[in-house]
Amino acid sequence: MTFFRLFEFLVAFLYFAGALVFLVGLVTHKTSFTKVSIWTTATSFGLHTIDLLVTWLHSGGLGADQGPFYFSLLAWCFLVIFFAFWWRLRMKFLALIASPLALIVFTSSLAISPSTQPVPQTFVGLWFGLHIGALFVSIALLAMAFGSGVTYLYLEKKIKTKARFKGFSRDLPSLHTCDRVNHVSVVAGFPLYTVGILSGFIWAAFTWKHMFSWDPKEVVSLLIWLIFAYVFHQRLAIGWNGRKPAKAAIWLFLLVIASMLFINFFVPTHHQFQM
Amino acid sequence: MNQTIYLIGLNHRTADVSIREQLALPDCNPCLQGLVRPDGPIREALILSTCNRVEFLVVGDPQKDPVQEVLHFWGSTCSVDAQTISKHAYTYQGLEAIHHLFTVASSLDSMILGEPQILGQLKQAYRKAVEYGSARVIVSRALHKAFSVAKRVRTETAIASNAVSISYAAVELAKRIFGDLAPQRAMLVGAGEMAELAATHLLGAGIQGITVANRTLCRGEELADKFGGKAIAFEELVDHLPEVDIIISSTGSQHAVIRARDVKKVLKKRKHRPMFFIDIAVPRDIDPDVNGLDNVYLYDIDDLKEVVEENLAERKEEAGKAELIVKEEVDSFALWLKSLALKPTIVDLLERGEAIAEKEIKKTLKSLGPEVSPAVHEALQVLAHSLIGKLYCEPIAYLKRRSKEEDTLTKCIHDTRRMFNLDNEQVPQDAHKDRKTRTCPHKTANERFWPHK
Repeated sequence: MTFFRLFEFLVAFLYFAGALVFLVGLVTHKTSFTKVSIWTTATSFGLHTIDLLVTWLHSGGLGADQGPFYFSLLAWCFLVIFFAFWWRLRMKFLALIASPLALIVFTSSLAISPSTQPVPQTFVGLWFGLHIGALFVSIALLAMAFGSGVTYLYLEKKIKTKARFKGFSRDLPSLHTCDRVNHVSVVAGFPLYTVGILSGFIWAAFTWKHMFSWDPKEVVSLLIWLIFAYVFHQRLAIGWNGRKPAKAAIWLFLLVIASMLFINFFVPTHHQFQM
Repeated sequence: MNQTIYLIGLNHRTADVSIREQLALPDCNPCLQGLVRPDGPIREALILSTCNRVEFLVVGDPQKDPVQEVLHFWGSTCSVDAQTISKHAYTYQGLEAIHHLFTVASSLDSMILGEPQILGQLKQAYRKAVEYGSARVIVSRALHKAFSVAKRVRTETAIASNAVSISYAAVELAKRIFGDLAPQRAMLVGAGEMAELAATHLLGAGIQGITVANRTLCRGEELADKFGGKAIAFEELVDHLPEVDIIISSTGSQHAVIRARDVKKVLKKRKHRPMFFIDIAVPRDIDPDVNGLDNVYLYDIDDLKEVVEENLAERKEEAGKAELIVKEEVDSFALWLKSLALKPTIVDLLERGEAIAEKEIKKTLKSLGPEVSPAVHEALQVLAHSLIGKLYCEPIAYLKRRSKEEDTLTKCIHDTRRMFNLDNEQVPQDAHKDRKTRTCPHKTANERFWPHK
């Protein structure tokens, strides 16, 4: 597996290079840097995909070495969603959030040692796949909303206070663009999150014969779901836009990440990643 | 080479408009009108004549006083005595002339720093000179270089990135808020001159439509016709606010026309979609508290003036950076000028050949493996180098024969350098394209993905 480790370090390094070059491009206003950065990230994304597939086949099914594999998969989801936004909405600036996040999550996946527990066969079920897939994609969407939310707040403050646009703020997208990222993320992310949580409960019902077990992770997820539902409703029915949903998306994402880092590692739960 | 580049001209700094009017040369063919003639001192010429400057870029024989020739030609064409011209004109020679040309092309010498029109005018002037046949090797090269310098300055510095007129600054801010302006509507409250200008710019930026609310309805209708919009009665102003996104106000009213509490109600009706108020009236028309509402942005005349002043100051800062780029490019042009002599070109050509020979020898030796005898090695060396020598023998002889004819020599050397790519240049694909129209490829992708709400 040592060669494999090297391969994974190469992926991490390429993510790092991609993020760094993108930043350099922003500071120097040179589009060539942005292009190089996107290609670097894309290359590393391709290698990452291979890495994930190999791990998966090697373990003969989902969830073989739980923690690392899931973290790596989450990093991968961030980039899938970023490329979707970039391709359909031409929002390159999200690379600013996507590649560093992918880098952090992916390198932490390298830092976690795989658990040696054999996983129950039921993990391979459709419900479990749906649970992981839908949740991760919706978290990735939230990550994009987080990035665009921070950009939105920064830009709006500049416009409201009549500050001047200097340096890299000149190249940032319009408020409307940032708001649309939020819109797409909320409108697509909330249903996915709902599907993710529901499929988790259904899987639990099949596996442990009870749906809800007051597991800390489950409680926090429900809390996040309630906030998410509120934002979804306000955005679609009341016509929230601009600062409020931007702030809400930032908090939601921070909550998700905090629950992931804190609960999955330090609280006794059946969502545990072994250290 | 007995040719020197000269630049003779005047601009808004050295001559006032009455003089510039007299000395303008809008349609002048230097070949037909005798400035460039086979026996004369001037071999190439380009004339740039705009409302702010008239300039001659000429290449001529320094022994025959081409400057005097230009001044004489200029005076007789415009019927102005040469003394008046020389009082206002400046003359640059050699690299100074090139430096001035690059400075003009990069819009560093314009009345409004960084304005883009000058580059278009220069391209036009060059096109004409090529048509007339008065632009040959040196002028062509200088102009192509000038265009690429201007492009570099525009992309690498922020000299042209921010608006320096109030109405443009308003449009730029609107773009920062709404992105694409196509789905947006604007409203003119009152019909001041500056508001009209801003409306024209907004239409230019592709805005959907314009509503005009004016106290005298017939004047409002007149304006609405001009912009292809609709006129409404001034009293119905607030009722129509939910339909518009950008409001430009410039009435002579003594108190606020639009109050914050009105806007609050309007926001509810429009589901909090953003609004942008531009208040160019003095005293102000729009309650300043409006800026405190969510998703509403208000800029008054002072704010816009400040933006413009800051942008101008920034352009001045950027001019320093641009100046460095210009200097760098002048140096590289100087190298090219030097290479136009025969000897360096022959040296370059042979060096290029030697380099190719060495490279191929290395490759062949590699493919032969490690067991190559010194004799084979030697034979390879001889073969490669003599091949190169024989190949270049004829072109070099041809160039030497041309050195008796000064006129064609420059062109031949220039062509040779380009044919064998001795200057390692990369020709950009859009070298001859004017970048006036910018397409916006993302709009359709946007709409495909998520139709407008």
